[in-house]
Amino acid sequence: MRTSAAGSRLAWLIPPPSIIWILAMALLAALVYVSRDFVLLLFLSATLAYLLNPIVKVAESALIKRDAVVTVLYLAIGAAIVGGGYFLYPRLSAEIETLTVSLPSFGERLDEAIDAVQNEVGAQHPAANRFFMSREIRYQRLNAFFEQQAKDIPALVGQLAAMILASVLIPFFSYFFLRDGRNTLQSFLDRFPAHYIETSVAIWREIDRIVGHYLRGLALEGLALGVSAAVGLWLLGVNYPLLLGALSGAASVVPYLGPIVGGGSAVLVALIQFKSVAPIAKVVVLYLALKFLDIFAIQPLAVGGEKELHPMLLIASIIVGGHALGIIGMIIAVPAVTIVQRVGRLLYERRRDHDPSVFPRSNTGVQIPPFVC
Amino acid sequence: MDPRQLYRVQLLAKVPLFSGLSQRQLGKLLIKLFERNYQAGETIFVQGEAGKALFIVLSGQVSIFRNNDETEEHFATLSAGSYFGELALIDDEPRFASARADEPTGLLMLYKSDFDDLIEGHKAIAIKVMNNLLRTLAGYIRRAQSHASNRNTLVTGVISAKTKAG
Repeated sequence: MRTSAAGSRLAWLIPPPSIIWILAMALLAALVYVSRDFVLLLFLSATLAYLLNPIVKVAESALIKRDAVVTVLYLAIGAAIVGGGYFLYPRLSAEIETLTVSLPSFGERLDEAIDAVQNEVGAQHPAANRFFMSREIRYQRLNAFFEQQAKDIPALVGQLAAMILASVLIPFFSYFFLRDGRNTLQSFLDRFPAHYIETSVAIWREIDRIVGHYLRGLALEGLALGVSAAVGLWLLGVNYPLLLGALSGAASVVPYLGPIVGGGSAVLVALIQFKSVAPIAKVVVLYLALKFLDIFAIQPLAVGGEKELHPMLLIASIIVGGHALGIIGMIIAVPAVTIVQRVGRLLYERRRDHDPSVFPRSNTGVQIPPFVC
Repeated sequence: MDPRQLYRVQLLAKVPLFSGLSQRQLGKLLIKLFERNYQAGETIFVQGEAGKALFIVLSGQVSIFRNNDETEEHFATLSAGSYFGELALIDDEPRFASARADEPTGLLMLYKSDFDDLIEGHKAIAIKVMNNLLRTLAGYIRRAQSHASNRNTLVTGVISAKTKAG
């Protein structure tokens, strides 16, 4: 009796479950933030495993052992990278070497190119001259801009080293995710309360379908755009078509800003290379055509033409992603927030469909026959 | 060849719902299935809950029953190769009965969302499964009609006997 009385007196010290949940979530968020680099590495590895899983499943449907499939797949990818590198490396390294050599004089060359284009436009349309900046002011501004960028180079080099390390670790981790993922899931399912398994796995399957469809669509979209941009730039005779194509493809995962980054880089290269309006216009037309191709053909086929994020949410997610995880954070922020938004919408719709007291169901008008012959 | 997967494909081949599917098609179906092991006495689903998946008995034994007030009405005991909960592939209406593992049991689950994927991606498989499912449902309906008809005949007979007697 005495113990129970003391217990009831101390009961107010125990917080309600909702507070415990909030504290636990806050603790988890803090842990994720502290170890964000490692979490990011795991996230990217899991994403790669997720993208490769359908290939493994196709082989599994032919009753081939998962271990063997995953090992052969990674050997094949390794061979493809080595083979592709063998053919592409000389060209790519030549592009990088040329770019590195010409980088210190980049500001001067850009200034010369802008000057040449201004002269060309000014000669044809004298009225346009009043919109152009004087050469001195432009030169000062360009110099100030490049001096500022030069200060960021050590940080960029540090990020580059981290990216090279990540490019080794991500395939390494994803190999184990892909190989052991099914057994881990199986052992988790066996420990999950039996009574809730049917509904919980059903929700998880729907989430998995949405996330898988979106990620694979995004990867396909990036690949299609990257290849199209590289081929288009090569046909136009623009320098560094492979680098610019790769940049355009990778940037396409960020809606609105991606095409500006990809197209802007190509226009910049074309400006310095040709110092004339016509080739720049061709590059702009190429990127506009790619954008139309993306909207009307690639997106509907790959991603399914579903709605993108609200522009304000998009900008906010890029800023937060960039602040938390740097360049990679900016790239993955939009897909991550889109996935969260879609999963949230799915859970909301499920709740709405299963809670007639909150959202009354409309009568579908379907008549169930009294018997079927 | 993976012996574990081969065993599952051979078992699926014996399930009436998947009859007519080739080994290749069964392999494609198998990768859509989830596996879950149940302890003896564990509940698989409860009557009145929304159905989400079809269950196939891989090993062990399952009881299908319905609780009516205080009593438990037993419908069937299922062993390896049997299936239950097939209506979940059509809609997510509440289950009519409950299912419980009588002994340590392994089950394969086909979720409606995965079956919908099959309808989109592998029409030939989905059409065969749908065809088998329709046959099963037609069997249920015929049995129910025959049962109702017998009862009506019996009731009519009793009424006419009573009328004659009266």
